[in-house]
Amino acid sequence: MEHSENSGTANSGEFLTFTLGAEEYGIDILKVQEIRGYDTVTKIANSPPFIKGVINLRGVIVPIVDLRIKFSLGEPTYDQFTVVIILNIGKRVMGVVVDGVSDVIQLSSANLHPAPEFGSILDTRYILGLGTVEERMIIVVDIEKLMTSTEMSLVEAATA
Amino acid sequence: MSIDMSQFYQVFFDETSEHLASMETLLLNLDVESPSLEDLNAIFRAAHSIKGGSGTFGFTDMTGVTHVLETLLDRLRKEELRLRPDMVDAFLAAGDVLRAQLEHHQGAPEADAGEIESVCARLNQLASGEVSDVFSNPVAAPPAVKSAPAPEAPAAEAPKARRVRLECDLPAGVAGDPGMLANLLDGLAEIAALDMQQRPDAAHPRLAVTLTTQKNDAELKEAMSFHLSPEEITLSDPDMPAAAAEPADDGFGFFDDVPGLPVAASDDGFGFFDDAPGLPDATVDALLGARPAIPDEDGSGAYGLFEDAAGKRENLPNRDIAPGDSPAAIEGQGYGIFVDAPGGVGLFDDAPGSQHMILATAPAPLGGGASGQVAAPGRRLTDAPAIETAKTGRRDNDKTVTAANSETSIRVSVEKVDQLINLVGELVITQAMLAEAASYLDPVQAEKLLAGIDLLSRNTRDMQESVMSIRMLPMSMVFSRFPRVVRDLAGKLNKQVEMKTIGENTELDKGLIEKISDPMTHLVRNSLDHGIETPETRVMAGKNPKGTLTLKASHQGGNIVIEVIDDGAGLNRSRILGKARERGLPVNDAMSDHEVWQLIFAPGFSTADVVTDVSGRGVGMDVVKRNIEGMGGRVELESSTGHGTRTVIRLPLTLAILDGMSVGVGGETFIVPITSVIESLQPRLEDIRTMAGDSRMVHIRGEYLPFVSLAEAFNLPGVEVITRGIVVVVETEDGKAALFVDELLGQHQVVIKNLEENYRKVPGVSGATIMGDGRVALILDVTAVTRMGLVGSGNHARRKLAA
Repeated sequence: MEHSENSGTANSGEFLTFTLGAEEYGIDILKVQEIRGYDTVTKIANSPPFIKGVINLRGVIVPIVDLRIKFSLGEPTYDQFTVVIILNIGKRVMGVVVDGVSDVIQLSSANLHPAPEFGSILDTRYILGLGTVEERMIIVVDIEKLMTSTEMSLVEAATA
Repeated sequence: MSIDMSQFYQVFFDETSEHLASMETLLLNLDVESPSLEDLNAIFRAAHSIKGGSGTFGFTDMTGVTHVLETLLDRLRKEELRLRPDMVDAFLAAGDVLRAQLEHHQGAPEADAGEIESVCARLNQLASGEVSDVFSNPVAAPPAVKSAPAPEAPAAEAPKARRVRLECDLPAGVAGDPGMLANLLDGLAEIAALDMQQRPDAAHPRLAVTLTTQKNDAELKEAMSFHLSPEEITLSDPDMPAAAAEPADDGFGFFDDVPGLPVAASDDGFGFFDDAPGLPDATVDALLGARPAIPDEDGSGAYGLFEDAAGKRENLPNRDIAPGDSPAAIEGQGYGIFVDAPGGVGLFDDAPGSQHMILATAPAPLGGGASGQVAAPGRRLTDAPAIETAKTGRRDNDKTVTAANSETSIRVSVEKVDQLINLVGELVITQAMLAEAASYLDPVQAEKLLAGIDLLSRNTRDMQESVMSIRMLPMSMVFSRFPRVVRDLAGKLNKQVEMKTIGENTELDKGLIEKISDPMTHLVRNSLDHGIETPETRVMAGKNPKGTLTLKASHQGGNIVIEVIDDGAGLNRSRILGKARERGLPVNDAMSDHEVWQLIFAPGFSTADVVTDVSGRGVGMDVVKRNIEGMGGRVELESSTGHGTRTVIRLPLTLAILDGMSVGVGGETFIVPITSVIESLQPRLEDIRTMAGDSRMVHIRGEYLPFVSLAEAFNLPGVEVITRGIVVVVETEDGKAALFVDELLGQHQVVIKNLEENYRKVPGVSGATIMGDGRVALILDVTAVTRMGLVGSGNHARRKLAA
């Protein structure tokens, strides 16, 4: 219920775009808490490789996911230019590592085209649509649905 | 007073529960043979406070019960009746009824009407048992609130027009300033017709005026409250020369008037109770001398104030007002205290407050009504100490704004405290980061900075300690509920038990206090049911027929140790072993006592032959153990057949901070809770043995312990060479185990952070913390990590561990 509502409002609004390899993605800006550089993480044993570990964000323990590893895009390098987007989803705080943050764009639902169905790593369930801005294609992701999904294993299966 | 009373309900609920609890404690501690007057007074005050409060808020059902309760207590207090054990039972039952009623007002189902009635009837019967005085017995009035009042009740509190004499000494600033004086009088004139008798001026600050008004005394005082505190104002009835019957009537009137004028009414009730039973005390008469023997004086005397009162009598200007006026004065004083406490918070102060009120006004009737001068605030407190218990004393200071003492405590929501604790936790981490960064500086150049950082670290540490102490509560919060449990249970089981508590001032985190009480109740019930024998058995065993149950709390290092000790029969080894065999548990006769005792923590284990409503279902000890382990604690049993059993609970001081040993594995830092660490040592190659090929064990002083490599358990690149690592021997739920780590890093107090808040549960890890360098370290759950490590390295060892 809450999901669909959130997705609905996300259909037309401001989106933060970021790059993963050569692709450009967009997420609802209201879900973004802050953007920061990459810090050393504390590894969590026996977790999937895209979960880099946890960091201390001003006293809050925040898990960090590398979307580049998750989607097999780009080179998972970590330097002073590596960017972490801290998301606030539900009551949870989590971070995603991306190649770079590019822009904040306006997209109306009219500009969003449904993504074609094919077996990509990123299930179309998590894609709100494809937007076009100045000849660039932006894959608009339902970041809330994605981050709380069981395949991200960020949350307990029962709550996902 | 058009205040919405409902906003103060919670205050009333809180305070009433406290009063009920203190009443119960006092009752249980009461020596039936020779009850101390002080205790009886304290119980009376608690009952009276509940009555006053419930009256104020219109909870008339509670008023009714407390009324009968008070009646009996009052007679005891005055030694008209002797305290009997059945009375204590009745009082406790009444306390239960009141609690049920209170819960009902908070939304719980309605209290059992039959129960209420029977309790009231019992109290009435007890109270009327030895009536022998000439005055009409107040108890004769049925307890039901709406019952017919005594015929002579004139309903003195009804808001009809009446005449009141008001006297007060105005502050010089007011008396000397015609403008302010006129203002004050105008204010009064708005609510009452004035008949000025003595107009104050700068030289003579006394104001005396007769008012004709519909307002009650409190409202009158409120009108003056800008200039004077209520107790500086004396209100009396100018027309009442010697109405000896009046006070008692007022008391009866109280019940009719409850909804309309609850506060005033309850105070009247107070007066009434003092008055009604008459004049048993010869000293009173002696003191009163030629004065008409009016009940009031007697009433005041009941508070043990005669010495003071008599003394003052000589010193007081003898006014023309007859002593019979005093009820009004008393009422006025009491009311004033209530009204004066702003925001209604003070409404329930009547325990100490009204006590003081009576104290303050007590001399008034004796002195002929000139209470205005006696009722100075300073006086009240000096008169009071003998009858103030610590508790009511504190409350008094808290809430009675008019009291000379300032506030000494506040109620704050736990959330705010927790927020503060979190912030201080952050501060400690930040400070540690700063200290770390500063350690690279040149000590000569950065001398001042380093000194500042040293100071900062000391201050943060102090601050953390004091902030943590806010959440600390004394163990007496838990212990205080047991006297009643023990008493009831001992009665039910026909056992004689004496309960002792040691170290009830030991402080423990609030969260733990709340959680510890259920397991403790279980242990206490167990001790009573299974431990302590019946008096006959005890006598046969050559023991005191009265068993002793001791509850003890103490600090040991970073832990709090809570012990439940009984001097009963002790655990029966053969019976436990027998039961265990029946249940198919793996046991043998060679097991050590300690291991045998551990069996009773197995789920569903009970040695009781008959399931009683007290215990025997076997759903207890395993829950106790689980609860305590859930709090990060441990429970141990010691028992000696024929001499008793001792259950020892060890708990960390708080849930938020943990003493941990940090260990390094493959570049990561982990925290091992220090409570589970037994020892650390450098293993020798020959100490490591394998079993069935892949599961390794380490031989330490004759023991073979399962060897768990943290690097393997967490898939980290740990050291390969065994002799270069360290073995940490830990105590897990399954027994001892040896954790193999790369290095020991140090020992810290760490603030526990929840991993599940933003992430999920991680196997083998109980939480996380932030280290001095700002990095996150995971806190190990040694039991889980041991199991993980053993599953990884083969199943043989696991089986071995389980056996």
